[in-house]
Amino acid sequence: MTTQAYFRPRSLAEALGLLDEHGPAMLVMAGGTLAMPLINKGVSRPEKVMGLRQAGLDYVRPVDGGVYIGAAAPLSRVRAESGVPLLAEAVKNVAGWAVQNIATAGGNLFAPPPAGDLAVALLALDAQVKLASLKRGERLVPLAEFFTGFLTNCLDPDELLVEIQVPKPAGKSVLLKYGRLYTNTPAIVSVAVRVVTENGRAKDVRIALSAVGPHPFRARQAEAALTGSSLDSSAIAAAASAAAAECEPHTDPIASAEYRRRMTGVFVQRALAQVAA
Amino acid sequence: MASKIVTFTLNGRETEVMVKPLTTLAKALREKLGFTATKCGCYEGNCGSCTVIVNGEPVLSCILPVEEVEGQNVLTLEGITPAEGLHPLQQAFHENFAIQCGFCSPGMLMVSKALLDKNPHPTQAEVAEAISGNLCRCTGYDPIIAAVLQVAAGSNGNQGGSHE
Amino acid sequence: MSDQALNTVGKSELRRDGLSHVTGKTQYVDDIQFPDMLYLKMVRSPLHHARILGIDFSEAEKVPGFVRAFTYKDVPKNLYTILCLIGVGPDEEPVLAEKEVLYKGEQIAAVVAQSEEAAIEAAARVKVDLEELPAVFDVEEALKPGAPILKPWGTNYFVYEGHHCRRVRYGNIEQGFAQADYIVEGCYEPKPIEHAPLETTGCIAKPEANGRITVYTNTQALYFSMDNTALILNVPFNKLHFVGGTVGGGFGGKVDVIVEPIAALAAMHTGHPVKYLYTREEEFHVSSTRVAYRIYFKDGVSKDGHIVARQVTSYADSGAYNRHTPYAVTKHAANISGPYDIPNVHIDAHCVYTNRVPTSAMRGFGVTSASFATELQIDKIARKLGMDPFEIRLINAYRNGDMRPYQKVVGDATLVEVIQAAAGMAHHPLSERFQAMNSWDRANSPARPEPVSAEKRS
Repeated sequence: MTTQAYFRPRSLAEALGLLDEHGPAMLVMAGGTLAMPLINKGVSRPEKVMGLRQAGLDYVRPVDGGVYIGAAAPLSRVRAESGVPLLAEAVKNVAGWAVQNIATAGGNLFAPPPAGDLAVALLALDAQVKLASLKRGERLVPLAEFFTGFLTNCLDPDELLVEIQVPKPAGKSVLLKYGRLYTNTPAIVSVAVRVVTENGRAKDVRIALSAVGPHPFRARQAEAALTGSSLDSSAIAAAASAAAAECEPHTDPIASAEYRRRMTGVFVQRALAQVAA
Repeated sequence: MASKIVTFTLNGRETEVMVKPLTTLAKALREKLGFTATKCGCYEGNCGSCTVIVNGEPVLSCILPVEEVEGQNVLTLEGITPAEGLHPLQQAFHENFAIQCGFCSPGMLMVSKALLDKNPHPTQAEVAEAISGNLCRCTGYDPIIAAVLQVAAGSNGNQGGSHE
Repeated sequence: MSDQALNTVGKSELRRDGLSHVTGKTQYVDDIQFPDMLYLKMVRSPLHHARILGIDFSEAEKVPGFVRAFTYKDVPKNLYTILCLIGVGPDEEPVLAEKEVLYKGEQIAAVVAQSEEAAIEAAARVKVDLEELPAVFDVEEALKPGAPILKPWGTNYFVYEGHHCRRVRYGNIEQGFAQADYIVEGCYEPKPIEHAPLETTGCIAKPEANGRITVYTNTQALYFSMDNTALILNVPFNKLHFVGGTVGGGFGGKVDVIVEPIAALAAMHTGHPVKYLYTREEEFHVSSTRVAYRIYFKDGVSKDGHIVARQVTSYADSGAYNRHTPYAVTKHAANISGPYDIPNVHIDAHCVYTNRVPTSAMRGFGVTSASFATELQIDKIARKLGMDPFEIRLINAYRNGDMRPYQKVVGDATLVEVIQAAAGMAHHPLSERFQAMNSWDRANSPARPEPVSAEKRS
């Protein structure tokens, strides 16, 4: 019935060893903001739980103009120390202060939409995630390939998500989150864009969306619509309507699917207009 | 299941508590140690009533396993109440009618204290953001923000009225 | 009055409970603990409308810490209605469901265990065999022939002294419409709202050595709760000692008597203190909400802005049971003509049962929804006539001495002055004639239309 063991490994090696020993029967928890409510309510009754707070994964480390973020880094640390665009703005939109102190960068990637505000920024920044297993070692996966569906991802049962790697960002970027309130509010839509221009033309375009699909994703058709353009208003409008067309919004108590789709177009347009300005 | 003893500093005193695995800090404080000023309005990390300060940072005690505060400094509302009189924030909440049913007040006071400790002169927007994870259903947020700003103004030698 | 020295009026007094609140010393229900306390969790209906074919506790009983389960058979007087204390009847809500459940989340069986975790697990292991029945969620659908019938008396409406709705009759509505220059219709639908108090609903019932039960509760209605609990448990009132008054937010959401009777019953049977505190999820899913209404207006209006006739057909969604809604609908019917002097009024306000969560009191219940609708309606009339929204209200505002449609003479009106003050604060210019109006006479007011004929209220 109640949890029999709560493991608090002191290193990544110890954590991977525990995962290897106990397998999927053991719940892996970072900050616990997703798992603990379910455990408190008795909805989730894991026999064994592993907490990653002490596993040495709470770093935020600048690397070559980019940043490597330990999976268990509290969001408040990411907000204060990331040193790259978008991330502080993304964290600012996650719940309240006390939650930002508990919730982690890695854990946020497992939040069910419309929660999970970090991924949309990381997608626009071309982030990769490092997955590690005791027996098979480490692999790097682009974040865009990490998500596979609603609450599903490419993480194997013997793997931990241990690090998020953000390369040195180029170009201009903007993040806009639209919710009912300014802070501590679930997203109606979150948009992150990053555009690298060359000779006045969009060379590299990232348009990432959250809360309007089963998982955070890059709006590839919107990106294609803008690539090569001079960021004029008609190209931006085309990208915005492509994003509205390719998103897969759902209806929940926050907003209807129809409204989410319309706002996706509006906020992609606004974000791109800010980048072009 | 094996219970274990967790040791931490609670309101300046070394404290031991024997808990089952994954017992939350809120349950340990309220049910094991009798420190009930900390409230739980949801037990799911959404309402902010259970906010306490750990090593200077506000956290939600209802979703934090008490084992995570082993060796750390935990401050609850009991810990900021002086032996005589009130903490300036308590006084300001009282005088500004920043309390009604009183249930959100402990969390509001703790997050406000954490804010003023880090930023003694916040703007109204900074106070609003700091308390944005703490829900109140009675007074509305304006008197609460006014109370925090009044304390901030007081600590600047600017006592009185600047929040209006 | 003006000579009297006032000690408090005009001054801000600090809250009596303020020091206790800011120091965290106020004791709420969840702050109370007893060493041998048991925890009660409820087995609830997963369906909106179903027949109960059987309940199987065998798996629940195996959970370590399980103490006992309760069904309707354990409740001495299982059927009740909260307002029986003011003569409302018949009893129609079960403490625990008997043969049927009428809403998703309805209480079917209570499980008591030595820890909260064990109670949650045991309740989850109770197997309830349900046969799903057709459900109705719309107030007008519920009144149509062929709708699933939810009440033993064969209809889906509360019966007001032999009538299918609460009726108000004043003047002659048909002649009023005939006199009108315009007919303005409108439909308004105030929605249900969850009170969402920060402290969830709950209580602890503790058996005492002298045979009494002490109930620590966060009810807003201490004596209502105690008296209903005594009736349900079939014990004299003096066997119960209710301790309350500290409410972590209520707003009308804590006036229903739901947790106390079953917790007290469990305490009587087990000899232990029993705690029954809603989870946040229960507070949202199964506690009563504000009543939702669908309100149809048909107003006859004269060219000079007088409302000369008002016909309202209103449907209140009571959800599956009465709670406080029959009373709310009476208040609603009385107030739906607004604070306006209308000579011909015809109100039909229905209290309708559906398979939704029961609705009940919330802040001005019955009246808030009426005010919402009447004020939108009068704005609509003002737009139709091209009149100023303040002036049309001043023309129609009731004055002292006016007869209300429910046969009471107005004695304490200050509406004219309030509207004038509001206009001033909003920097909305009023002509001299409107500024000179007052609530005590009709000087400077247009002639008041008289009722067409003074019919007796039916």
